[in-house]
Amino acid sequence: MKKRFETSPWGSAVLWLWAAVCLLPIIFFATIALRPRNEIIAPQPIYFPTISMETWAKIFAEWPILSYFKNSLIAVSGSVFICLLLGVPAAYALARYTFKGREDIGFYILSTKMMAPAAVAIPIFVLFGQLKMLDTVWALMVVYAAMNLSIVVWIIRSYMVDIPHEIEDAARTDGASDLRIMWEIIIPMCLPGIITAAVIAAIFAMNEYLFTLIIASKNAYPLSVALANFSGGSDGIIYNAIALISFLAFFPVLLLVVSIQNHLSRGLTMGAVKG
Amino acid sequence: MTTKRSGLLTRRSLLKTTAASSAALVSGVGVSMFNINGAFAAMANPADVLKDISVGKMVKKEYREQYKLGDSDELWDSSKDWIRTADWEAIRKEHAGKTVRFAIGAADRESAQDQVAPFEALSGIKIDLVAIPDDSMYDKVVAEFLGGNASFDAIQFFSPWLGDFGAQGFLKPMDEYIAKWKVPFDDFYPTYQANYGNWADKGILGLPFDCDIQQVHVRPSIMKKVLGGDVDRVKSIASYDDMIRLAPELNKAEKGVNGIGMMCGRGFWATYTWQHIAAQHGLQLFNDKWEPIFNGDAGVKGLETIVALSKHAIEGVAAADWPTNRAAWLGGQIACNISWQDSGTQATRADQSKLGDDVMTIYEPRVAGGTYAPPNIAGSTSCIAVTSPEPEAAFLMLAYLTTASIMAMNEANANGVAPGYRSVLTNEKMRAVSQPCKVWSEALDYAWCAPRLPQGFQIDQEIGFLINKVVVGEMQPKAALDEAAVKVKAIMEKNGFYKGKDPMNFAATEPGFWMGKGKAAPF
Amino acid sequence: MSDIALEAPMTKRPAVRRSPFMRKAFPYFLLAPTMIYLLLITLWPGIYAVYRSLYTGKFKLEWYGLNNYRELIMDNAFWVSLWNTLFLGSITLFVEAVIAMALAALVYRSGWARGWRIVFTLPMLFMPSAVSYLWKLLFNDGRVIADLVRRAGFDYGNIDWMSTAFSARFVLVVADVWQWTPFLFIIFVAGLQGQDKEVEEAARLDGASWTRIFFNISLPMMKPVIAIGLVLRGVDILNNMAAVNIITQGTPGGATETLSYFIYRTAFRSFEQGYASAASVLVLIVTIILAQTLVRRFFKSGTEA
Repeated sequence: MKKRFETSPWGSAVLWLWAAVCLLPIIFFATIALRPRNEIIAPQPIYFPTISMETWAKIFAEWPILSYFKNSLIAVSGSVFICLLLGVPAAYALARYTFKGREDIGFYILSTKMMAPAAVAIPIFVLFGQLKMLDTVWALMVVYAAMNLSIVVWIIRSYMVDIPHEIEDAARTDGASDLRIMWEIIIPMCLPGIITAAVIAAIFAMNEYLFTLIIASKNAYPLSVALANFSGGSDGIIYNAIALISFLAFFPVLLLVVSIQNHLSRGLTMGAVKG
Repeated sequence: MTTKRSGLLTRRSLLKTTAASSAALVSGVGVSMFNINGAFAAMANPADVLKDISVGKMVKKEYREQYKLGDSDELWDSSKDWIRTADWEAIRKEHAGKTVRFAIGAADRESAQDQVAPFEALSGIKIDLVAIPDDSMYDKVVAEFLGGNASFDAIQFFSPWLGDFGAQGFLKPMDEYIAKWKVPFDDFYPTYQANYGNWADKGILGLPFDCDIQQVHVRPSIMKKVLGGDVDRVKSIASYDDMIRLAPELNKAEKGVNGIGMMCGRGFWATYTWQHIAAQHGLQLFNDKWEPIFNGDAGVKGLETIVALSKHAIEGVAAADWPTNRAAWLGGQIACNISWQDSGTQATRADQSKLGDDVMTIYEPRVAGGTYAPPNIAGSTSCIAVTSPEPEAAFLMLAYLTTASIMAMNEANANGVAPGYRSVLTNEKMRAVSQPCKVWSEALDYAWCAPRLPQGFQIDQEIGFLINKVVVGEMQPKAALDEAAVKVKAIMEKNGFYKGKDPMNFAATEPGFWMGKGKAAPF
Repeated sequence: MSDIALEAPMTKRPAVRRSPFMRKAFPYFLLAPTMIYLLLITLWPGIYAVYRSLYTGKFKLEWYGLNNYRELIMDNAFWVSLWNTLFLGSITLFVEAVIAMALAALVYRSGWARGWRIVFTLPMLFMPSAVSYLWKLLFNDGRVIADLVRRAGFDYGNIDWMSTAFSARFVLVVADVWQWTPFLFIIFVAGLQGQDKEVEEAARLDGASWTRIFFNISLPMMKPVIAIGLVLRGVDILNNMAAVNIITQGTPGGATETLSYFIYRTAFRSFEQGYASAASVLVLIVTIILAQTLVRRFFKSGTEA
């Protein structure tokens, strides 16, 4: 029997190499967040900078970072809530009923995920302008929810499909209504799927850029476009602030991903791959 | 709107909020604010507030120490500093208690924030800052103007948009207010008056805000190695031919330092660099029928100069926008940089750059057979929305924000917002704090400037796409400019030019093109 | 799950308390909120984009008929951006798929699979715009990559990545591959872990080499999983504009301008909303057709488990 490549030294060398490719830029980025501005760009790169927390103090003092964070939190969690509220019943219908047009409706929902944001950005901007909702976290919430609804429906659907029909039938025999079945049996049974869907929707919402840039201007600024503040002003690109904000947004996302890591692949493919 | 009477009535309640908020921010005002002594003494004494609009309170400590500035040093001329000549009692009488909404690029919001409390203490007018991300500012502003109820009374924006908003009648002329409140508009250099203030024959639509100019900055330590002697602001790079000749040597003089820095990024950046250099060759953008003629000799020579320089330029020059160029220059990667004036000031500030004293802004290189035309390119201006219910209060706020002393301290803080007043730029103390100041102020009397055409920004973009192709070697200069001229003409035609009545009056605009016209060049 | 199923009585009597109409309509009621929400926010933009594409002007809309479309079809920059999107997109996708598959094949039976997965996933968790700034710093502003190349013994000076179409595209590909290879990796690992191990083991006992097992057995079984990963990633690549906007802005001479950046800069830089809308409509039509066919092909619907 031949030796497996994946357990050979060559195999692990490849893995370690890719781990280095992943980690080194991140570590470098972290040092950027920790160095004074005049050591970021130099004739030759500085790999071992003066570590200074001054930048942090300055950035937190001069910019409403906490309010960016708060806006992100409200818009993202609100959008996830909308997604679940609308998406769970829809997923239930798609997973557990046979009815006319089911295929078409399912595919229509999924195909909204494929739409190019740049193609709909202008109308969305005009729409919220007419609704007088520009620069509100509510508008962000609505857009994030629309953006993620399709994934949420399909992820949850994939978990609901797996539940054996017999359970439902038994409950029905006992006289439970369809709504009760959904609420008391199906939802608890696919809770991991619902959590996965929520986390993935939260991550996508957290990182959304184009719509956010167009909708938010002052009150509604979340973390994802706060970066624009550090690249467009009379102060040029402030790399250490960009790095700092990036890590601020990174840690909560990391936490969420670790919490669902066994369901991640299934979620990202909307159930098409059973992870 | 609120009558003067009700304004008086509300002043007492106003007092509380003003005192609370501004006492915290404007130190030293707090005590006198409670000396109730006559009708208006309820508010802060203007003299006390004005005393704190000073170098000691508003210029960063490390910069004051660097240049040994005293707390009460004046970087301006108090007789030309509007806030010190204005009749604040009269202003309060008419406007206290009002609120004006001021739209500003999101990234610059914080610098404006510092001025909210002092202005309120002086005038009783509250400022509500509406920050709009620069990326979507134009569209938001247009949408709001068209909707008829803009969320702001005043706005500060990129001056190339002045033509779009001016031609549409979105902006309220200020001539009347300037006369009434005796704002020293004449103290602005004529190039700023003509291109950031007046628009065509429609009156004064803007108060110049960020008064930029493009200049050439060098690193003396590296120049010395190449020249073998001291650097002279006039002679060391006397012409662009000299620059082309020196570029390869500058490029080799020190490890990690490239010869030339300039902005040739795709779009308007490249256009501005081209305009800068082509102006010295005598570039004229349009003839008196507004037909583009920039594809003539001067335009082509300017572009050829860029191509020659780019061979010895810093890597990434074809993608360099201003932030990228700024970072490279302040990071010490460039020996000779063609950029805005603030590169020359910021380089001397230790928290922004390590160059320190190793920076010198030189006089614009001349061109044999060309013109002396240092380019005033793309600053910002501030305007009043025609939809504003409180245009006069909005005007007073703009007059405050653009007043000489505050602008001078912006420059001393090297925050990129530039003063455009003769009384400031010729102030000896100012010149000591701002290294490029002397060369800059002398250049302004010969300044070149592109007209603020409707769709001017789109035109800058289209020309820049083609210039970028030349820089990367995909097109020849002449062919690119010919194509650009066709595109520009089409854009203008689409927007109402050449149909009898042009949307922008040529005769009224033409005097702003080149201030050096008819003057003997200084060199 | 199966325990409960066993306990449940197996009678198949339908619920009786509902009228036939209600029984038929119930799933539609459940779906209605989602459908209305999505239609409002996707249909409306579509209709508006079509409407706006028939007009020109920034302030007063003027009827322009199909002229925006005519001009678009004659606009070289549009076709170049379409080509760039396809060209850059397919190269990026290919590189990502190859790396992800190699890593997945190495990892999927390892006891450390979870640890590797977390490490490899990290780049994906940063905001896309932040990653663009990171690579702009590494390649251009900070000269880090050029410095590393020099330290490795190849002195090319400060490499000008933005000067040629090849190198500028290379930078964009690197930035995307770094961030998004994890996405495919996660999917491929799941796919490999989910397949029948006995077939493989049997082949191994027969003495087949690992390459033969991988290419002749594992890979063919993985086909649907690979397809889904590529479709999802492909759509994302098509829509990504942050990297182009932040790193190259289309330089040199438009060689890195993608469709989404073309639309963005037309609408939000040149303020030609009508023209940008026309481009949007064309892109919308193409993506809708693509999405509908791809989605139907690769995603299973239906209630079967």
